[in-house]
Amino acid sequence: MSATSSGGEKRPVAAKGRRRSAGQWAVAWRRFRKNKVGLAGLVLVGFFVLAAVYGLFWAPYPPRSFDCLYQGCTSLPPFVNWAHPFGTERSGIDVYSEILHSIPNDFYVGLGATAISVVIGLVIGALAGYRRGFAAALLLGLTQVFLVIPVLVFILVFARIFILEVAEGFGLSLITIILGIFGWPTIAYIVRGEILRIRELEFIQAEKAIGASSGRIVFRHIVPNVLSSIIVVASLLIAGNILTEVVISFLGFGTPNVSTLGLLLNEGFSSIRATWWVSLFPGLAVVMLVLGFNLLGDGLSDALNPRLRE
Amino acid sequence: MGSLWVYVVRRLLFMIPVFLAVSILTFIVTNAAGNPISIIRFGIRNITPSQLSFLESYYHVNQPLYAQYFYWLSEFVQGNLGQSLVLGGPVSGLIGPWVLTTLELQITALVLSLVIGIPIAVYAAKHRGTVGDVAVTGTAIFGFSMPVFWVGIMLILVFSFYLGWLPPSGAVSAYPPYWWGNQYLDAIAHLILPAAVLTFASIATFVRLIRANMVEVLRQDYILGARASGVPERSVTYKHALKNAITPVVTVVGLTFGLALAGAPATETTFSWPGLGYQFVRAASVLDLPVIIGITMIITIMALVANLITDLSYALLDPRVRLE
Repeated sequence: MSATSSGGEKRPVAAKGRRRSAGQWAVAWRRFRKNKVGLAGLVLVGFFVLAAVYGLFWAPYPPRSFDCLYQGCTSLPPFVNWAHPFGTERSGIDVYSEILHSIPNDFYVGLGATAISVVIGLVIGALAGYRRGFAAALLLGLTQVFLVIPVLVFILVFARIFILEVAEGFGLSLITIILGIFGWPTIAYIVRGEILRIRELEFIQAEKAIGASSGRIVFRHIVPNVLSSIIVVASLLIAGNILTEVVISFLGFGTPNVSTLGLLLNEGFSSIRATWWVSLFPGLAVVMLVLGFNLLGDGLSDALNPRLRE
Repeated sequence: MGSLWVYVVRRLLFMIPVFLAVSILTFIVTNAAGNPISIIRFGIRNITPSQLSFLESYYHVNQPLYAQYFYWLSEFVQGNLGQSLVLGGPVSGLIGPWVLTTLELQITALVLSLVIGIPIAVYAAKHRGTVGDVAVTGTAIFGFSMPVFWVGIMLILVFSFYLGWLPPSGAVSAYPPYWWGNQYLDAIAHLILPAAVLTFASIATFVRLIRANMVEVLRQDYILGARASGVPERSVTYKHALKNAITPVVTVVGLTFGLALAGAPATETTFSWPGLGYQFVRAASVLDLPVIIGITMIITIMALVANLITDLSYALLDPRVRLE
């Protein structure tokens, strides 16, 4: 709200329209650049994006390759043989290479599921915010139910039954869809709250009084305001989705032949006494990846939160 | 007080459609896995036609899905959750001990994380921007980003396998020798690692929240007013500020606890802690359908009740909140 009015004081009336909406993001970026936490997150996420690209094209071994079984290099400890810097697993999988192959897949699940959740959450939240009466109450109730019930249990049931029994072969996309379907309530809740809040603000009333169309109000005022909250929540949701995928695969409910960090952790745990490094390195990768998105979310929330603007 | 009861009754009535919706969803999904007979037939070598027809009538598999659901629902209302396909025995009898085992772990972790987390959060908020604060918030966001079960694996590696100080799995030793001498200390020895892991995870969440609230509250005018009128700093912090900073946290604690009743499936599995989460994972991997449905429904009910209790305590703590 302050962003929409701050530009107007300096700029003459002619330049008003465009500059102002660009101003909101420019201000946010300026604030973000000063934020060490957010920058650290951005660097971490950037590092993993590079690692994902590197893994897709230049990983030393193919995904889920058991070549070492025939060459006698199974259960190699880390930092001993530099052909396998993070060691190898009991059945010969190279840990370093497998982590590289997993990162793009974990990105796919994290980003894909979040995109699905954002779309569903936006629609349901916007409807619950605009409409009044029974439909709004129903949607709000649905959102609250999803926030209260232990969603992980349902995700596990769905994953177990759909991935391993009903629809084999869809692989990660199925996990992505399941996570997306269960992840929208937070977004819907926030969108609804923001819309209810903004709808009553004075500048919206003023716009209405001037005679602005409802389309203009929605797209020029409500969407940018809601968007900043969504960006923050989405970046935290990506982190959450990656963690949930890790849990699903770790428990053995994921896709057994697609490399993910959770699957590697599952294999590591089954031979934890013999090969601790298979648990250590993918775990560290998960922590760094998730930490990156969490820090990014924190930084964004500081940069985009209008209440903190000096 | 009258409005309170109306509120409670209304919330309890609200749970019924939620419960029905969740149960229908679970029922349909588990049915997609196949019928119970095809699953137990793995365990029966030469099934006779009469046995098969008995099983068919017992599980009502020849009837349409909605009829099966109503059979299940009428049994559920009477407290009968069916027989476990794998463990042999009524699910309702099996679930009780699982719930208690999970509660033992989760309540310990919750109490510990609040007792340890609140002072840490208050310290960080009061010393905002100092090295101590950065260390606390940094550790908290680290803890928030870790897969909880992985922390468990690392602790097992260090404290059980390398140092040999604590047992790596289970809730008790089934037979002597007991850890630390007797059965009671043995149970505590088993509790330490999983409880520590869950405590660490929830401390991370609580500290972030309480610190953020505390920072906002400490900025407000009435705190300045209290200080100006000579109220001791300790009392300003803990009586005036913390009380207001902590009420919003109650909701989060309640939600977290409600969800934790699912027993943190991954953490319980890592420690083979025989609670709801571990048993759920086990049942889901072998497709023990009655157990899957039973645990899901029990967890849902417990989470709804935990949520109701949270909302009530929220209203009791904060006089501004009116129940509607």
